[in-house]
Amino acid sequence: MSSLAKFCKISTRLWPQNGVYTYNIAKYSMIRDYKPAQYPTTEEERAKAAEKYNLIKEDYKPIPDDGNGLGDYPELPMVSAEAKDDYYPWDFPEHKRNFNEPMHIWANMLGEDRYYHNPPLRYPMYVYWLTFIGVMGGFVGIFLVCENYKYVQPVVKKQYPSTNKTHYTFESLK
Amino acid sequence: MGNTYAHYVSHPDTTPGIDIEPSFDPQIGFANGRKPRVMVATEEEMQSARLPQDRRDYCAHILIDYQACRKDVWPWAVKCAHKNHEYLNCEYEDYIIRMKEYERERRLLERQKRKKQAEAA
Repeated sequence: MSSLAKFCKISTRLWPQNGVYTYNIAKYSMIRDYKPAQYPTTEEERAKAAEKYNLIKEDYKPIPDDGNGLGDYPELPMVSAEAKDDYYPWDFPEHKRNFNEPMHIWANMLGEDRYYHNPPLRYPMYVYWLTFIGVMGGFVGIFLVCENYKYVQPVVKKQYPSTNKTHYTFESLK
Repeated sequence: MGNTYAHYVSHPDTTPGIDIEPSFDPQIGFANGRKPRVMVATEEEMQSARLPQDRRDYCAHILIDYQACRKDVWPWAVKCAHKNHEYLNCEYEDYIIRMKEYERERRLLERQKRKKQAEAA
C-alpha cells in the first residue's frame, strides 16, 4: 500500500519547484553538457577549447586522438594531491584544488586517499643500489666460497653390495 | 665442522675428503681377517620389490619386509612400526661402519705420514 502511495506521489515530486529531483536529473542524465567536443584540428578550434577548459593557449595540449573518444579534453600533468602544497590556501583544501581549475582526466584516482603518482624517494638512489648489490653480492660470495670448500662429513662413500668389491665389518674372524 | 677445517686448512694431507673410498688394504691390523658384510636380499628380490637403486644396500631385505608388512596390514601401517625401527637401526649401523672406515683411513694416513717422517729423519 505504501509503495502504491509513493508511486502516486511521483508526479508531484518531479515538479520543478521540488528542486532535488530536477537537480539530480540535470546533473547525472544530461551529460551532453559535460561531454568534450571533437578533437581540435585548426588553431582556432584549439584556442576555443583552451578557453573552454580555462587554460592559456600555450598550456593547452589535447589528449592524443587514439580512438578512446576523449575529444578535446586537455592532457594535464599527472600530479597527485599528495604532491601539492599542504599550506597553500586552496579553494577546496580537501581536494587541494582551486575554483575553475581544469581537472585531470584521471582526477578520481589522484586524490590524497588514492594513488601517489610520483612520490619522492626516501633515500638517495645510490643507497638503494648499494643495498641491492650488497645483499646479492653477499649471497653470491657465500655461494662461491661454499662451492670451493664443501662441508666434510666424516664418512666414506655409501657401501652398495657388488660382485667385484667386498665390504667388511669391524668384527674379527675368530 | 672440525673435519671441514682439518681437510681444508689444518691437516689437508691426512684428512680424507668427501665421498672417498678407503685406499688401504682392508685387512691391515686384523690378524685373523675381518668378517665380510653379508647381503641378504638377492638382485631378483630387489627387482621384484621395485626398490629404488639408492636403497639396494645391505639393509634391503629389512626394507622389503617392512614394505610387505605395510601392504599386508594397510591402512593400519602403524602396526609395522617395529619393522620400520629395525630398518632405521640397520641404516644407522651402516652409517656407523662408514664412519669407522673414514676414521680408519684417517689414522692409517697419519701412520703412513709418521713412518715416512721417521724414515727421512
